[in-house]
Amino acid sequence: MSAVRTEEFMVNMGPHHPSTHGVCRLLLTMDGEKVIKIEPYIGYLHRSIEKICENRTYHQCIPILDRFEYVTAMSCNYVFSLAAEKLAQIEVPERAEYLRVIMLELNRIASHLIFFGTTAMDLGALTPFLYALREREYIMDLFEMTCGQRLTYNYIRIGGVSRDIPAEFVPKCREAIKIIDQKVDEYMALLNGNPIWQKRTIGVGYLSPELAVAYGVSGPILRASGVDFDIRRDDPYSIYDRFDFEIPVRPNGDVFDRYMLRLDEIKQSVRIISQALDGLPEGEIKAKVPLKFKPPAGEVYSRIENSRGEMGVYILSDGTEKPVRVKTRGGSYNHLQVLPEFATDILIADLVAIFASFDIIMPEVDR
Amino acid sequence: MGLIKKLPYYSEKIPGGAIVLTSLEATLQFAQAKSLWYLLFGTACCAIELMCTGASRYDFDRLGMIFRASPRQSDLILAAGTITKKMAPRLRRLYDQMAEPRYVIAMGGCTVKGGPFYYDSYAVEKGIDHIVPVDIYIPGCPPRPESLMEGCLHLSEKIRRQKLSDWQEK
Amino acid sequence: MTRDQLKDYIGSKYASLMTPLDTGRFDPMFEVKADRLFEVSRALRDDENLKLDFLCNMHATDTRENFEIVYSIASITTKLRLDFKIVMPYQNAEIDSVQEVWPAANWYEREMWELFGINVKNHGNLKRFLLPDDWNQGHPMRKDWDAPDFVRMPEIQ
Ligand code: SF4
Repeated sequence: MSAVRTEEFMVNMGPHHPSTHGVCRLLLTMDGEKVIKIEPYIGYLHRSIEKICENRTYHQCIPILDRFEYVTAMSCNYVFSLAAEKLAQIEVPERAEYLRVIMLELNRIASHLIFFGTTAMDLGALTPFLYALREREYIMDLFEMTCGQRLTYNYIRIGGVSRDIPAEFVPKCREAIKIIDQKVDEYMALLNGNPIWQKRTIGVGYLSPELAVAYGVSGPILRASGVDFDIRRDDPYSIYDRFDFEIPVRPNGDVFDRYMLRLDEIKQSVRIISQALDGLPEGEIKAKVPLKFKPPAGEVYSRIENSRGEMGVYILSDGTEKPVRVKTRGGSYNHLQVLPEFATDILIADLVAIFASFDIIMPEVDR
Repeated sequence: MGLIKKLPYYSEKIPGGAIVLTSLEATLQFAQAKSLWYLLFGTACCAIELMCTGASRYDFDRLGMIFRASPRQSDLILAAGTITKKMAPRLRRLYDQMAEPRYVIAMGGCTVKGGPFYYDSYAVEKGIDHIVPVDIYIPGCPPRPESLMEGCLHLSEKIRRQKLSDWQEK
Repeated sequence: MTRDQLKDYIGSKYASLMTPLDTGRFDPMFEVKADRLFEVSRALRDDENLKLDFLCNMHATDTRENFEIVYSIASITTKLRLDFKIVMPYQNAEIDSVQEVWPAANWYEREMWELFGINVKNHGNLKRFLLPDDWNQGHPMRKDWDAPDFVRMPEIQ
């Protein structure tokens, strides 16, 4: 083959490209069908959320951070509230903690369902997308019932949650997770045996554990590379240490494993939710937090495990009503950073599969 | 486009031309209003709601709205999500690539007027009507699928009221 | 190792390099001199008992008097976590790149350079990426930054 003289050329993918999940631009250097260099260009959704938060009070920051990672907005609410609670050393009532865990896990399921749908769509299967979003609507109904919004909730507040769940929530929630649990098996039956799906995912896009750790890759992608690390278990927050659940880990680090791992996680989230629903105590839902909330001076970095890996918020407070600095950290920022490392002899179609399996969402990167 | 624009002029000269014109107009309007293919232009949070609207429960397809990935095949930009200053030239370029007649729906507070939060942001464009002409505004953060569908129905209404002679390049 | 043990361990082993601060509200917080940064990061990553190999987060803060650069690091194997920071004057702010230790620092440093104007030595790829390509209004995350069309939030009474 070396006798054939080939020439490199550049392909611009994005910022408006159906498979880049938002507005990411990749500049690809190609040699025929092979990608030899990837250069991500970001910033098309840079909304300066951090600068805006510096001009708001602590309570006002929460709805803005909803837009920081809108697919799992509950965890953005939660991670900020957690940081503020650590700063001011606020005790959160028991019932609020349970409600938070239920909402966080429901939101994780919703996010993984979106992942499942869009990944399958990027690889050319439209049916899973319709299935996944059908099941997601059950969760949206539950959220709407509790906080009135479908996407940007502003539900978890500093010191608790904004309102109690209605009476019909618990039975509806049990029903929903039961349906979802069954449907996940159906999804697996739909795709896993499909030879096209197998050819496009198994063995594609191997990420080694060393590289993953060095680049700060976290969450499902890290665990799909065989590294057993989950903040819910290893740096526990909230009341996760009371529940009995497993952390799925897969050894191969390819697209298929990343996809399967997320489906496994849905099953574990269902387990957590049903335990939390069983143990849901009565009582207060919010600690007494003044409207003019002034945490003492100090700084804190809090981190949680959301569906895209480690999500963190750093707050520096000087004892006034407004934070001096809010820094948000999303998993996708690091996942996009590791993408250029894949540019070793992959096909452009595989790049789409890899990108989809990373489940990158741009506001987390651009903020 | 050129021919269609000249049609009223020629058809009025021949006897019975106006009748042909009227039925042609009705047919064209019907066809257009009932098959609005939209460009998938989701940048931020509103795009997720757009996805939900397109999927099973709300089923956009029954309004004749099918998503397209290329601007050259679409009649409508559903601008869903924040448009930043860096993204604005790209939106304009996509709009320019579309074939006439073309429409724009601004979905969500961000595209209507820079969003509920970003008034003191240095990076967000305060409303897309600075960049492209907008036909329908749908407020909300994000708008519910129902209100998105209502907005689209309003647009088809608007198209059905259009005369052939109104067609001109924006 | 618990958080207090970690604090003691670092206090005894790296006393000359890292000074404990009491502003950290949850995880231990230390201060590091800017010229020892590389040495400290290397040591923390390679220490057998710490193995802090995971860079969670890194960012700059403008406190109106000086810049603070905070590194939040963690370990996958020993599950420890700590923060350390560098305080540097406003003029000619400059740090070493820690990419050799934690490759993840690449974009964080680039972002710092872009939004705060902190120069990063030995970075190798300091290019604009968050702001528009034709941006010419300075470093927007600085507290004293202003632009003609920038609307400020009114002060809350
Ligand atoms: S209007 Fe609200 S939901 Fe829509 S893109 Fe803007 S911030 Fe996101």
